[in-house]
Amino acid sequence: MDLIQHPRYIDETKCIACGACEEKCPKKVIDPYNIGLAKRKSIYVEYAQAVPLKYAIDPESCIMLKKGKCGACQKLCPVDAIDFDQKETSVKLEVGAVILAPGFKPFDPKRFDNYQYAKLPNVVTSMEFERLLSASGPTQGHISRKSKDHGDPKKIAWLQCVGSRDMNRCDNPYCSSVCCMYALKEAVIAKEHAGDDLECAIFFMDMRTHGKDFERYYDAAREKHGIRFERTKVHTINPAANDNLEMRYIKESGESISEIFDMVVLSVGLEANPAVTDLAKKINIDLTDNQFCNTNSFSPVATSRPGIFVCGAFQGPKDIPQSVVDSSAAAAAAGEILSTARNSLTKVEEKIPEKNISGERPRVGVFVCKCGINIAGVVDVPAVAEYATTLPYVEYAADNLYSCSQDTQKTMAELVKEKNLNRVVVAACTPKTHEPLFQETLTSAGLNKYLFEMANIRNHDSWVHKNNPDLATEKAKDLVRAAVSKAVLAEPLKESELTVNQTALVIGGGISGMAAAQSLALQGYKTHIVERDDQLGGQARNILQTAKGENVSENLQAMTAGIESNSNITIHLNTTIDDVQGFVGNFKSKINENGSEKSLEHGVAIIATGGHALVPEEYLYGQDPRIMTSLELDRKMINNDPDVAKAQTAVFIQCVGSREPNRPYCSRVCCTHTVDSALELKKRKPEMSVFVLYRDIRTYGERELLYREAREAGVIFIRFGLENKPQVNLEKKQLCITLTDHILNRPVRIETDLLTLASSILPARDEKLAVFFKVPVNEDGFYIERHAKLGPSEFATDGVFLCGLAHYPKPIDESIAQGKAAASRAITLLARETIFTSGQVAETNPAMCSQCGVCVSLCPYSAPDFIPGDARMNAGKAQINPVLCKGCGLCVASCRSGAIHLKGFDNDQIFAQIFAINMVN
Amino acid sequence: MTDWEPKIVSFLCNWCSYGAADLAGVSRMQYPANIRVVRIPCTGRMSPKFALAALREGADAVWVSG
Repeated sequence: MDLIQHPRYIDETKCIACGACEEKCPKKVIDPYNIGLAKRKSIYVEYAQAVPLKYAIDPESCIMLKKGKCGACQKLCPVDAIDFDQKETSVKLEVGAVILAPGFKPFDPKRFDNYQYAKLPNVVTSMEFERLLSASGPTQGHISRKSKDHGDPKKIAWLQCVGSRDMNRCDNPYCSSVCCMYALKEAVIAKEHAGDDLECAIFFMDMRTHGKDFERYYDAAREKHGIRFERTKVHTINPAANDNLEMRYIKESGESISEIFDMVVLSVGLEANPAVTDLAKKINIDLTDNQFCNTNSFSPVATSRPGIFVCGAFQGPKDIPQSVVDSSAAAAAAGEILSTARNSLTKVEEKIPEKNISGERPRVGVFVCKCGINIAGVVDVPAVAEYATTLPYVEYAADNLYSCSQDTQKTMAELVKEKNLNRVVVAACTPKTHEPLFQETLTSAGLNKYLFEMANIRNHDSWVHKNNPDLATEKAKDLVRAAVSKAVLAEPLKESELTVNQTALVIGGGISGMAAAQSLALQGYKTHIVERDDQLGGQARNILQTAKGENVSENLQAMTAGIESNSNITIHLNTTIDDVQGFVGNFKSKINENGSEKSLEHGVAIIATGGHALVPEEYLYGQDPRIMTSLELDRKMINNDPDVAKAQTAVFIQCVGSREPNRPYCSRVCCTHTVDSALELKKRKPEMSVFVLYRDIRTYGERELLYREAREAGVIFIRFGLENKPQVNLEKKQLCITLTDHILNRPVRIETDLLTLASSILPARDEKLAVFFKVPVNEDGFYIERHAKLGPSEFATDGVFLCGLAHYPKPIDESIAQGKAAASRAITLLARETIFTSGQVAETNPAMCSQCGVCVSLCPYSAPDFIPGDARMNAGKAQINPVLCKGCGLCVASCRSGAIHLKGFDNDQIFAQIFAINMVN
Repeated sequence: MTDWEPKIVSFLCNWCSYGAADLAGVSRMQYPANIRVVRIPCTGRMSPKFALAALREGADAVWVSG
């Protein structure tokens, strides 16, 4: 691979992001990160959370780079990091796989003259609104208008599908998938910020809240937050008095309305970035008609070119959880082809023997950092260092220009040895970024790394109290005193070592479990699949084709053959799990295979227990053979059933059991599946009349194209509301459906030969399994993942992973991606034969434990449990598994007997800090 | 009383509010110097005893954020 690295004009190894350059840079430019709502300097950090936190110079605006004059930053930089001579460099890399994650470009609505975005200041895009809502944005989270008054808006409208689902004014026929949900979120947050006086209205075509827990959010937005929803497409925005906006639209009832808003947010869609389209051409990978990366449902992260994988919105518009799933899946796919190279480039760290300090009196070394002028410009650093020498147990204190520089690190390590220090306090920046670095210094000096404490006198002091040097100096002394008091009580902590059994257990042999097992096996790990049924495939066996038209049974057969022939995989059919013991790295499961008991040892477990279709209890289901569920229709189509062939009319009813008060979630797949089935019927018999009765059509992403195709093929879509559901009757053997047409607003009667009910997807609901693995289940029966956005394929409990319908309803491509993602996450453990856990964990004192069980029931990571009643020591008392403990301290604060201690943050340490903060002055 | 400023002890979760306080610094937001931060690993670690101790030691207010 040939890469081009653009110059940053900053030596990253030197820059300490002190910000002196930015302060003096004379050139102000529009800040693209804040979508032009703010200005930044020509030398900049893109945003406060940027990693690495290093400056860069914008060559398009820098006076020095443009005209050869200025160089103010170079003169000022205290570490000499500015380098105007940096040139573009080319980098050659030899790699075995490439993962493309170039993202998307927000749609630019300037070209829509009817919305006048370019002319009217108070018409903003959703991206701009995001910046306005952000606490780190240009208004620090205060919503103000862009017009000169900068007033607080009292009435805001969101316009959906701007640049999506639109072939008329732009060429984006697809749905952007995420805009309905982000508009809801923006409206809810706006109301939370501005209070009840703010009126919010969302103008939409179909509300697409098809993600996990999204429908509940929609319900709450409407019912709890009072957000108004108008199902209409606004055709014009005109200027009104006081920079307000007049919106014209037609209400559902047909009434023409003109309404004034203070602000209008255009919910812009996601587009492929033209630069990425060029790249795709250059590297020769196939794109869809809409310039998204073309993939196959059965290899959802593979591009058309072997070895190149894709994740995120370049594959199609998608939200964060799906992007995260894809990214893990892409990592797994790359791992599958690179497994032979695993560990071939790893280096072994040199181990320095640790000094035993037990019984020693604390001897604290305090290093106070100037951070150039960052701290020293405000805080009197020498005075703080001087003050530190007066504190109890402090053996040595000094100031440094830059504590994090390599030579200071070396000096610190030498001083630790020379002065025989056994505790170190660094007063500098934040432990969030620098604690690991200083801990390494301790390790190199032979001290346990937990004998360290930081005082944050930069981010929490000098930077935020610039105009009060005296108070800032006092505060710095306070913080140093608190840190020393805590450090004195620090003990060397041991990190437990855990051996990981290199075997995986996949529970469920449906398509996502199969994908997980296949990926694990291809990466070289022994894998067991446990399947309750007598064959693999799960629900996929009932499905005719994917939304992309791929035949499911053929692909499933190929997948099954691949699994059966892989010697790393053992398949256990007709098998249930009777018991699970152990924890991450060392599970022992008892299985019952065809009636015989077996025991499996494994290091990780993937729960892929799937789901099934609801058996409908309405619309006369079960009373007539012509009434069936979506999967039953698929089965008939797979079998070329004559009933389907001879039907003249077919009707589909959507949301059967979904989005109802007792099951308030969207089953995600039914709209696309129905549209696909309707098209298939039309394809088989073009003269057939096909009706789809729906509430919102949720063909997200490029699935929208199927919806368009169906309408073009003559499928008739009629919308109904929850309060006005279709009536199904049998009149003298004639199947009749009556409902009110949403456009004509008149009753319609359809006589049909087939009625397909798009019944909701229910999770397998295995309470026993949830208890075995100590993992939570939500009120709908789906498992609760570690993090809804960032940890969709794993549990908070270490070593247990999740994929497929057990997580949430999803189509085949997403199930396979999540299967691979779960495998990828599992391999982060399996790839290491031993794991060292943190030393900052909780520990019980069995003598004080009253066995109340609060810690056992409270811990989100399932770390505490009871010592078995027949144990020789401390029977029945609680104990905490240090391997599972994340050191949050929830159990410590909740323990009524005071029996639990959190190492590193123990009660005496926190009290010492509180006592050391001198509040009486 | 007009010059009176409360002395505040805050207990901030390492993973969110402590990081936010760091970012306030990166963004050079200015605020009064009468606040002292105690970093805790999670607000789950917070015990009522800590709040009482801070108040007993002279704090006018205790702020727990996480």
